[in-house]
Amino acid sequence: MKNPLLKRLPRELKSEFSKYLVIFIFMISVIGFVSGFMVASGSMIKANEESFDKYNIEDGNFELYTKCSDELENELDDNLVELYENFYVEKETGNVDSTLRIFKNRKDVNKICVMDGELPDENGEIAIDRMYADNNDIGVGDTLVIESKGYTVSGLVSFSDYTALYSSPSDMMFDSVKFGVATVTDDDFDKLSSDKMHYCYSFTFDDEPEDETQAKEMCDDVLGIIAEHTIPVSFIPQYSNMAITMVGSDLGNDKSIITMFLYVVVLIIAFIFAITTSNTITKEAAVIGTLRASGYKKREIIVHYLTMPMIVILVSAIVGNVLGYTVFKNVAASMYYSSFSLPTYETVWNVEAFLMTTVIPVIIMFLINFVILCTKLKLSVLKFLRRDLSKSKNKKAVGLSHKLPIMHRFRLRVIMQNMPNYITIVFGVLLANVILLFGIALPEVIDNYQNEIVSNMLCEYQYVLKAPVETETESAEKFSITSLETIEGELKSESVSVYGINEDNQYVDIDFETDGVYISNALAEKFHVNEGDTLTLKESYGTKEYDFKVSGVYYYPSSIAVFMDDVVFCDTFELESGYYNGYMCDKEIFDIDEQYVATKITEDDLTKTSRQMQTSMGSLMGLLSAFGVIMFMLIIYLLSKIIIEKNAQSISMTKVLGYSNGEMSSLYILSTTLVVVLSIVLTIPLVNSIMEYLCVTMLSQYPGYLPYYVPFSVFVKMALCGIVSYGVIAFFEYRKVKKIKLDIALKNRE
Amino acid sequence: MFIEIKGIKKHFGEGESRVDVLKGIDLELNKGEFCVLLGPSGSGKSTLLNIIGGIDSADSGYIVVDDEKIEEKSEKELTIYRRKHLGYVFQMYNLIPNLTVRENIEVGAYLSDNPLDVDELLKTLGLFEHQRKLPNQLSGGQQQRTAIGRAIVKNPAILLCDEPTGALDYNTSKEILKLIEEVNRKYGNTVIMVTHNDAIKHMADRVVRLRDGVIRSNVLNDSKVSATELDW
Repeated sequence: MKNPLLKRLPRELKSEFSKYLVIFIFMISVIGFVSGFMVASGSMIKANEESFDKYNIEDGNFELYTKCSDELENELDDNLVELYENFYVEKETGNVDSTLRIFKNRKDVNKICVMDGELPDENGEIAIDRMYADNNDIGVGDTLVIESKGYTVSGLVSFSDYTALYSSPSDMMFDSVKFGVATVTDDDFDKLSSDKMHYCYSFTFDDEPEDETQAKEMCDDVLGIIAEHTIPVSFIPQYSNMAITMVGSDLGNDKSIITMFLYVVVLIIAFIFAITTSNTITKEAAVIGTLRASGYKKREIIVHYLTMPMIVILVSAIVGNVLGYTVFKNVAASMYYSSFSLPTYETVWNVEAFLMTTVIPVIIMFLINFVILCTKLKLSVLKFLRRDLSKSKNKKAVGLSHKLPIMHRFRLRVIMQNMPNYITIVFGVLLANVILLFGIALPEVIDNYQNEIVSNMLCEYQYVLKAPVETETESAEKFSITSLETIEGELKSESVSVYGINEDNQYVDIDFETDGVYISNALAEKFHVNEGDTLTLKESYGTKEYDFKVSGVYYYPSSIAVFMDDVVFCDTFELESGYYNGYMCDKEIFDIDEQYVATKITEDDLTKTSRQMQTSMGSLMGLLSAFGVIMFMLIIYLLSKIIIEKNAQSISMTKVLGYSNGEMSSLYILSTTLVVVLSIVLTIPLVNSIMEYLCVTMLSQYPGYLPYYVPFSVFVKMALCGIVSYGVIAFFEYRKVKKIKLDIALKNRE
Repeated sequence: MFIEIKGIKKHFGEGESRVDVLKGIDLELNKGEFCVLLGPSGSGKSTLLNIIGGIDSADSGYIVVDDEKIEEKSEKELTIYRRKHLGYVFQMYNLIPNLTVRENIEVGAYLSDNPLDVDELLKTLGLFEHQRKLPNQLSGGQQQRTAIGRAIVKNPAILLCDEPTGALDYNTSKEILKLIEEVNRKYGNTVIMVTHNDAIKHMADRVVRLRDGVIRSNVLNDSKVSATELDW
C-alpha cells in the first residue's frame, strides 16, 4: 500500500499555491540565472583557453621606437622566441568620436575571429572590433571615415589579443566606446602608416613556460636581450596584458561571486522552509503524536515533512537548469558580449554548473531541513500529544513591565514568539539590501568617481613628449614625467606616474619644502601609504628600486601618481638640470608637431574607466536592483505569512473578543513592520561595510583607483525601496488578517 | 494472561514538586477483555494508559504484553510494538486536517500487513457516505468515529482509548461507546478505556478504579450491559 500521507502533498501544494508559486518562480529564476551564467561563462572560459592555441596568442609584446634591428631579431629568434611584426597605427575616426588601432591582417599570431561579414579583401574595406562597433552603432556595410577617407566595414571581428579593449596595460579599465581595433588590407595599411607607426612586435616562446613564475623569468630574459640593444617603448608580457588576461580572470571572478550568491539564496530559502516545516510540526503536533503513538516511525514522519521542500528544490533545479541552458545562457552570454570582445563559443555541458546549481542546493536544503526535523522529532510522543514542543520545562516567559501598555507588550510577545522568523527576516533584509545597494550604489560610485576626476584634473591637457620641444602657447607649464612600478605585494605591481613639478607650476599646488614627495590620494588610499612613510617603487623595465619619503598626500583621484620637485626629479633619475618632457595646459597646444607627442591626456582619457563601467555594468545594475527588491519582498512575504498563519487561532480568538481588523493588524503586522523597518535602517552601516569590502576587493584587481563613496541619498533611496516593497506585502498581509474567520477559534478549542 | 502489569511506579517532578502518580500498580487483563479505568483527574489513569502504550515509561515495575516485556524494548522496538499491536483513540481526535475521512483511516491501514477492509470498516463506522469529506466538514462524533476507524483498521490486539467521549455530547458519546463495544465484540481486541464517566463501567468486562496512584478496586462486571442502555 502506498503511504496515504503522500496524498497530502498535492493538497498542500494546492492550498499553499501562492506560496509555492512564489518560491518556485524565485528558485527557478535564481538557479536558471546562475546555471545560465555558469554554462555561458564555463563555455566561454573553455573557448578562451582554447583560443590561445587556436589563434596562436602571443606570450608577450614589445614596442620599439624604430624597427627592430636584424641583430636583435636574430638574437631573440635564436635564443628564446618566435618574433612576429605586429605594427599598428592609431587614427582618430572622422564620423565617430573614437580612436582606432589599425593593424594588417594577422596570419600567424593573434589571429582574428570573424563574427559577422568577412575580413577586408579589397582596398577601402575595414574589419572592426565587434564590441566597438556595437557601442558606436556601426554595422557591416557602414562607412567609417579615417583621415578623410571612407572605409566600408566588411566585417565585425574579435581580435584574440584584444578581448578586453585596453589601449594601454596601465589603464584601469578597457574602453570599448572610444577605443577600437581594426584591420585593413596590406596596401591600405601602408598608406595609413606614413607617420607615427607603432613598431610593435609580438613573440611566442619556443618552449611553453610551465607556470607564471617561469613565464616571468623567460620574459625577463627577453627584456634583458632587448635592453642590451635598445630601450623599448613598452614591454608587455602576456600575464600582465589585461587586454588578453582580463577575460579569463573576470569570468573566473564572476563565477565565484555568482556561486556565493546562489548558496546564500538557497540558504535563506532553506531556512524559510525550515521555519515553515517547524511551524507545520508545531501546528500538527497532536497529529504527529498520534501517528507516532500508532506506530509510525520517526523516519517516516521525517521523510513526509522533508518531501515537499525536496520536491520544490528538485523541480526548481531541473526547470532552472533547462532554462539555464536555453534562455538564461543567452542572457548571460549577451552580458559578456556587451563587456568583452569575445570570439564565438560553443555551449559545453558543465558538470560543475550541475553540481553547484543542483546537487549542492539540494544537499543544503536537505541538511537544514533534516537537522531541524530530527531536532524537533527528538521530543517524546507524549510531548507531541500534549502539544508541548518546548525543550525546557523551565522556560519562563520573559518579564515585561506592566507599565508598558498591553498592546506594546502584545507586540513584543509576537516578536519573541517568532524570533526565528524575525532573525531570518533581518538576515534576508541584510542580504537583499547588499544586492539592492550594489544595484543602486555602483552607478553612483562610478558617477562620483567621474565627477571627482573631472573636477580635480590637474589641467585640461597633459602632453607627454618624445623629446623636449618649446611652445608659444600661453599657460603651458613644463613638467617631467616617468613611469615606475609598485612592488608586488598584496596587490599586483602597478604602474605609477612620477611627476617632476616646478615650484611655480600653476596647475599643481604643492609647496615642496623638503626632499620628500607628495603622492596622489589614489595611491595613498589604494596602497595604504601615509604621510611620513617610505614608498618604494621600481623601474618598469629594470630592477632598480627607488625609496621616497612621503611628505604629504595631494588630492588627485584619477591617477596613481607621485609628485616631486623637478630638481629632485632630475637628481633622482640622473637627468640634466632643466630637463622636461611634457606640458600641462588648460587649452589645446597646436604649435607642437604631432611626431614629438608621445601621449596627449585629456578628460576623455581620464574618464574612460567610468565610461566603460557604465556601459558594461548598466544592464546588470538594473537587474540586480530588481532582484534585490524581489528577494526582499519574497522573504518578507513568506515569513510574515507564516507568522500570521501561526497565530490564526489567536487572531480569531482575539477577534471574537471584539478586536477590530485594524487592531489585529496593529498587533501582528506592526510587529513585522517594526522588525523590517529597524532591519532596513540598522543594517545600513553593515550593508555599507560589506559593500565597501566587496567593491574594494573587486576593484583592487584593476590598475588605478576607484574610491568607494556612496552618497547618503543612496541609502535613503535604498531604505525607501525596501519600505515601499514592504508596504505592498503588508497590504496583502492585512487582507489575510481580515480574512481570518471567527470560527477558527471556536472549532479548534483544544 | 494477555497483559500483565506488575508493580508499576511513576513520578513527575523532583523535590518539593515531586508527585508520585503511580504508586505500584498490579493488574492482569485477558485477551478480548473490555477494561474501564475509572478515577478522578490526577489519579494516574492516563499515565498508566500511556505506559501500556509504550509512549511513556515507568520508574519501576514491568508490563508484559503477549509474553513480551515492554520495559526491555528500545525506542525502535516500541515503535514496532505500537505499530503491530496498538490502536490509540484520544479525546481530541487528532485527525490529519488535509486528508479525507477515508485517507485518515488508510493512514492507520498503512501500518498493518493485514488491515481490515476499509470499505467495510467505513460502513461499520457509519462513515461510508462521508468518506470523501475533510475533518473540518464533520461533526465531533464523526471525527471521533474516524479516529476510531484509524485506530482499529490495522486490527490491533489492544485498543487504548483515552477519554474518547470527553469532548462529545450525550448522544454522540453513546454512539461512540456503542461503536467501541461493537469493535470489541467483532474483532476481539482487548480494549482499555480511560474515563472519568462512572456510567461507562456498566459496559465493561472489568472495572478498575484508581485514586492517588493506586488501584482502589479491580472487579469483574457480571452484569455487563450494552452501551445503548447506559445513562448518565
